[in-house]
Amino acid sequence: QHGRVKIKTTAQQEEEKRKEREKKLKIYVAARDACFSKRSEGVWDDEALQLTQQLLSSNPDFATLWNYRREILMHLETWSPLFWLTNNAELLFLESCLKVNPKSYGSWHHRGWVSARLPRPDWARELSLCDRCLSLDDRNFHCWDYRRMVVKISGVPVDQELAFTDRLIGSNFSNYSSWHYRSTLLPLLHPESPDAKLYSFLSEYELVQNAFFTDPNDQSAWFYYRWLLGRGTSVCNCVHVLKYFGPFLALTAAQICDLPPGTINDISNEHNLTVHWTEKHTHRDCALYTGRTESWCRDSATDQELFRSELSVEKTSVLQSELQSVNQLQELEPLNKWCLLTIILLMRALDPLGYEKETLAHFQTLKEVDSMRSAYYSDLCSKFMIENTILKMEYAEVRVFSISDKNLTTLCHLDQLLLVTHINLSSNQLQQLPPQFAMLQCLEVLEADNNSIENLEGVYHLPKLEEVLLKNNKISTLADLQPLASCPKLKRLDLRGNPVAQTPNVESELVELLPSVTDLLL
Amino acid sequence: MAEEESQFEEFEQIDFLRDRHVRFFQRTLQVLPERYASLETTRLTIIFFALSGLDVLDALDVIDRNTMIEWIYSLQVLPTEDQSNLSRCGFRGSSHIGIPYSTKGPGVLHPYDSGHVAMTYTGLCSLLILGDDLSRVNKHACLAGLRALQLEDGSFYAVPEGSENDIRFIYCAASICYMLDDWSGMDIQKAIEYIRGSLSYDNGFGQGAGRESHGGWTYCAIASLCLMGRLEEALSRRELDRIRRWCIMRQQSGFHGRPNKPVDTCYSFWVGATLELLDVFQYTNFDRNRSFILSTQDRLVGGFAKWPDSHPDPLHAYLGLCGLSLIGEPNLRKVHPALNITQRAFQHLQQLQQTWRDSTGSCSRQH
Repeated sequence: QHGRVKIKTTAQQEEEKRKEREKKLKIYVAARDACFSKRSEGVWDDEALQLTQQLLSSNPDFATLWNYRREILMHLETWSPLFWLTNNAELLFLESCLKVNPKSYGSWHHRGWVSARLPRPDWARELSLCDRCLSLDDRNFHCWDYRRMVVKISGVPVDQELAFTDRLIGSNFSNYSSWHYRSTLLPLLHPESPDAKLYSFLSEYELVQNAFFTDPNDQSAWFYYRWLLGRGTSVCNCVHVLKYFGPFLALTAAQICDLPPGTINDISNEHNLTVHWTEKHTHRDCALYTGRTESWCRDSATDQELFRSELSVEKTSVLQSELQSVNQLQELEPLNKWCLLTIILLMRALDPLGYEKETLAHFQTLKEVDSMRSAYYSDLCSKFMIENTILKMEYAEVRVFSISDKNLTTLCHLDQLLLVTHINLSSNQLQQLPPQFAMLQCLEVLEADNNSIENLEGVYHLPKLEEVLLKNNKISTLADLQPLASCPKLKRLDLRGNPVAQTPNVESELVELLPSVTDLLL
Repeated sequence: MAEEESQFEEFEQIDFLRDRHVRFFQRTLQVLPERYASLETTRLTIIFFALSGLDVLDALDVIDRNTMIEWIYSLQVLPTEDQSNLSRCGFRGSSHIGIPYSTKGPGVLHPYDSGHVAMTYTGLCSLLILGDDLSRVNKHACLAGLRALQLEDGSFYAVPEGSENDIRFIYCAASICYMLDDWSGMDIQKAIEYIRGSLSYDNGFGQGAGRESHGGWTYCAIASLCLMGRLEEALSRRELDRIRRWCIMRQQSGFHGRPNKPVDTCYSFWVGATLELLDVFQYTNFDRNRSFILSTQDRLVGGFAKWPDSHPDPLHAYLGLCGLSLIGEPNLRKVHPALNITQRAFQHLQQLQQTWRDSTGSCSRQH
């Protein structure tokens, strides 16, 4: 149901139209019935072709009729071997159908069928049909899909099609469908030679930069650019683990192995082991403690670049120069959101910690410039800040995760905080501590003052948790505190400045709910 | 004075005209104008838009349910006596082929009559909306007809004699299997492979491999995976985040279906529901979305159009309502984002499915 704009007509014009419609309807119904009786009698002749042509001209989405037409054509071609050579009519008929409705599935499908069936298909003609169609509507995906089919069957070389997209993009950078097509063609170029591949990518960068320097507000080039920057080998994030002794752990990627039998003969002593993973050319040292049958070791985040952004790993110099270019553009167009987003992306790929301050500043501008998505950007920024804090974390007897006053709106990557003993989330905009929070099995102190927390779903079954500080939050009922009852070592609880503190008999209720707590602040 | 006028205009713009929309759908169920002739073969989908639209408006009392239910059952392609047409079973779009009216089996053999996957999908939905218990649906035949439509690459044809094949019909198939509570109608693994293969470089889904990302196909992909219960199995966390990002960027005021295209009312549902299924709909701007949808409202005739100052049509009228329902417009029923029926109709389905599972000898539900 394609959009039709309203136009006003006079009463007389309306009446004339109505009469015309009635006439058309009579003809249509007669033709349809004639068609079906012919088909049910198994008649496939020129008259049948005529009838279907009549009907399909006004209703190209009548799929059954296209099927019937195909049957007629197949029948006719068996009777006359030169049928297709002497008969151009089908293609002409289809062109007239497509003129009326260039988005009809039935018409394009039939054209594909006919083209594939011709003894000597004129693929150049088909390509030129696509050209004409795309010049009227360069986003017509039916036409693009048809073009792809033609290119595939007729073996049009990749660089010729690339040149085609060059022409389209050259005349109009805003041609999203052309950029899309390019993304499918580019990987087919130079599949053998990595150097040639690199060279073509570099010239591709130039092309894209031209596009977004010319019109920074057009998203086509920016989406393509992001994809380009991300091409290259994908990084395997790996946390090497033998086996974790916890009951619940699920890591994003792990190397797990069983020790070969006979490696350890007695479990009454401690053993120090070095394990080699030959596949990954890596090894780790770990200790098997007395009486244990499992051990674990974990790489620190900086070593493994756990949060590696989706951009190329090895081409740092390329990314540097791209960042320079986009920064230049940003000076000219300080309020362009695509620019800001791309800069943030490049910075995270190059040096997330080094660029932290600039990243935060850019996010601020981004939220103002694209305010419709400011909630999304706040969450994205929270994620990056958490990632940076994880990267900076030190591992010792005490493992502190401190991320206060960072406008956090959401928590994530909690699976990376398994070893954290002290967490400081105060002065942020968190509304809940989600179920994944229960992963923090080593947690001893939880500081989350000055947030908007109303939900403590995730603060349950934390065996080492001793202190929970929740001053100035939005905990409103005793039921909200229920999860804490499953933390057996909880001693200190600060609920000052929460609505729940005003509940009558709150103190005695809490003594009942949380008997281990000795230091209660209301 | 001028300021007051423009404020009054603004107020008019924001006003949701419920009764007009009820009338619009009522008329849709009675007679359609000539320009809809080309949609005759898919008439059942238009019925679905009107029925589900009335359901969202909580106005199903204006129609004669029983007559409607009978008419829908008359569109069922039933097995013949010798069951030789099982692979052609399902629901047809209308009576355009000329099969004599009948709501009972056995089916009549006609060489060119067959079900159409989108008609089977909307037929089942419509029956559920009308409160029917699906007891006259030949489940076994529908599923046989569905199996006949799936290709090696995992996608589906619409009809057994062949048509284009793409991700739209995977969605229809998944919905049918979900409603009939029977996944023997399709090879899920192959369908998932086709869906994954349709993920494009910019992280939207195309109609198939190598094709351009589009809001409608992205909905089909994500909703199918949700109905199958395989969303997180089929797509990694990173991929899901990227898809979320592509979808979020579709909002301009309302939503468009592809970058650099104008916003269109129906994408408030296609993209909105996708975002809802991906748990990030709350990041969109509800006010601008609402303002756009209501700017396409036809104040005289009711319904919504794809753009302002265009003719309304049943598809956009229905999806415009669904878009408003997603953002919590008062007095509209909530819509199940994956199945695209109201939560009320969905609960009816759940009760039915419970009955089917409880009853011993499930063949009591088949002919």
